[in-house]
Amino acid sequence: MPTPNIQQRPSAGRTFAILAGVFALLFGAVVALLAITQHHVLDAAERLQRETVPEIIRYQRLARNLDQLNHEGERLFSSLSAEDRQQALFLVMLVASHPSILEHPQAAAMARDTENYLVETNQLAARDPSLLRSRYPEWQRISQRLHLLVDDISVQGANLATADLDDMANAMRAARVKLLGALTLVGGFILLLIVLLRQHLIRPLQRIDRALSSLDVDQPAPEFPRASLAEIHAVEEAAGRLHKAMVSNEAARRELELLANRDGLTGLINRRHFMANAEAEIRRSQRYGRPIVVALGDLDSFKRLNDTYGHGAGDVVLRTFAGLLTDSVRQSDLVCRYGGEEFAFLFPESTIDQAHILVERFRQRFAEHDIRLPDGLLVRVTISIGLADASHCPLEIALQRADFALYEAKRLGRNRVIVAADPD
Amino acid sequence: MSRLRAIALIAALFSGLLQAAELKVAVGVQDPAQVSMQGNLVPSGTPGADLVALNDELAREVCRRINARCAFFYVPFAEILPGVEERRFDLGFGNFLRAPEREKRVAFSDPVWRSSSRLIGTPDSARAFADKLGQPVTLGNLRGGRVATLEGSRQQAFLDDIAGRRELTVLATPTPAEALDRLRDNRADFALLAIRTGYALIRSDKAQRFVFVGPAVADHGLGDTSHIVLPKKRNTLRRSVNRAIAEIRGDGTFNRITHRHFPLTLD
Repeated sequence: MPTPNIQQRPSAGRTFAILAGVFALLFGAVVALLAITQHHVLDAAERLQRETVPEIIRYQRLARNLDQLNHEGERLFSSLSAEDRQQALFLVMLVASHPSILEHPQAAAMARDTENYLVETNQLAARDPSLLRSRYPEWQRISQRLHLLVDDISVQGANLATADLDDMANAMRAARVKLLGALTLVGGFILLLIVLLRQHLIRPLQRIDRALSSLDVDQPAPEFPRASLAEIHAVEEAAGRLHKAMVSNEAARRELELLANRDGLTGLINRRHFMANAEAEIRRSQRYGRPIVVALGDLDSFKRLNDTYGHGAGDVVLRTFAGLLTDSVRQSDLVCRYGGEEFAFLFPESTIDQAHILVERFRQRFAEHDIRLPDGLLVRVTISIGLADASHCPLEIALQRADFALYEAKRLGRNRVIVAADPD
Repeated sequence: MSRLRAIALIAALFSGLLQAAELKVAVGVQDPAQVSMQGNLVPSGTPGADLVALNDELAREVCRRINARCAFFYVPFAEILPGVEERRFDLGFGNFLRAPEREKRVAFSDPVWRSSSRLIGTPDSARAFADKLGQPVTLGNLRGGRVATLEGSRQQAFLDDIAGRRELTVLATPTPAEALDRLRDNRADFALLAIRTGYALIRSDKAQRFVFVGPAVADHGLGDTSHIVLPKKRNTLRRSVNRAIAEIRGDGTFNRITHRHFPLTLD
């Protein structure tokens, strides 16, 4: 049995393991890239939450405090009593002292200027309240600058989030591209896997299935295109070997059948095979109302021939007889060695008269045939034959009647054909 | 069945005790008259009463938010930190600035306020020292004076640190009001106080004898965020307090409380 050449082809397991490995690497790389981007987004979000938002709130509070400063300054100018002006000034000083203002250089300078101007104004107003009016235009300019600073700081605070949000948006865009890449990769891999599975596994399996379904000894051995996977190739080769084994088994079976059905000396079918086939043939003829005839023949004085010339001579006579008989009967007729020197005949589609003519002609031909024995002597042997119509009776009865006719032929002097009397 | 009921009852009682844990809360006072008024309202009209009332109400709101039963103790500032450190108090409301030496002794909540420090004096003392120094008085150039401050405060630590170099006499008082009393009695030339404390005191001085002198200072540990203090290793309590502060800020309660006692939020 040939060894499948699986070394030259990659195995399915290894091939798909390599594919899976490549996919896992690529997918892992994309996932890692996604994870980096996600980390970036999370970082930006955390920075926004932990640093930027508190910073924005700080800016908002600073703007509110500066606004408060402006408000209290305005209150100082609008107060009618010195006590109210002092209270307003205290608040101005309180607000100007707030760390949120002190830590912002521009706001701190503005608050200091404002506080100094208002302290000076309060001192002047304490001596002459009418001076408030003359100092008010300057306060309006200071107030305007405070307003602008409040606006600037509010915008600065709002802008703080812009960088983080832009960063997050860019990261999200990158994540979207990477996600699309990952999806494309997965889709591509699945498509590739389907194509490869179809090309190298499903189609070859379908071909093998078809070949195995129609595997027959009468059909040529299945042929397959070159398989790329070792396992498929091995199965295809196994299918070829199976076909060869089937053919070989069929030949052996036929030979055995031949040996079982034939007589080894004469080559004619044996009695068992004859009986089985004759039964079937008689039933078929009787079913369709067709004529059929059986006959029994026996070589005359065969025992004496054996005794005189030996068994080897007897065998030659039997073989010669069988050869002549095979040449003389029709393809559809059955002839068997019934036992010893006795032979049985079956003539389908023949009336008793037609069979009689055929048998008589053969009897004459055999009787005139010179048979050369092993020692070179020429002898002639005759045969007695009994015929019986089997169109209306079972095989056994027909053979019994043919046997009676054969006996009658022997009794009347041998070398003749006797037709059994009609049973009616 | 009865055993199960008993276990459930005990569990309920135990959980109730846990939920309504009793906390001892120290609130810093501004004036000696406000000391030891446990369970009573802050006497109105006393110096800095608004600031004490503000801290008191904030402390009560925090207690309510953390579902704790609180006993309040009104004590001088200098007693709060040691009291919390020795676990005689569970929470200390005194607007504590963070400082490394304090971090070793107590734990701090998330920020509540922001604070700076400023000199307070009379206009006369400010003029006299300006003449002597040849420039307006600031904390940066003050030299050769008597400065009153709150005992145990960061301001005292700062003054003690520079006193030798600047030839300053540091006069630590148990309450901020007593520091201003020193000014009033001419036993001190200036007082260095937290800005909100200073504001609360000078605005309530009917005679309006005091003014802020020089600019406010927030560096050298004299300004930044101020906090509630609590014992170290009380992390669960600290987390609860921080959550309560965030809630109080988030739902506007913080601003409402502040405005009831103070004209500005200034957080």
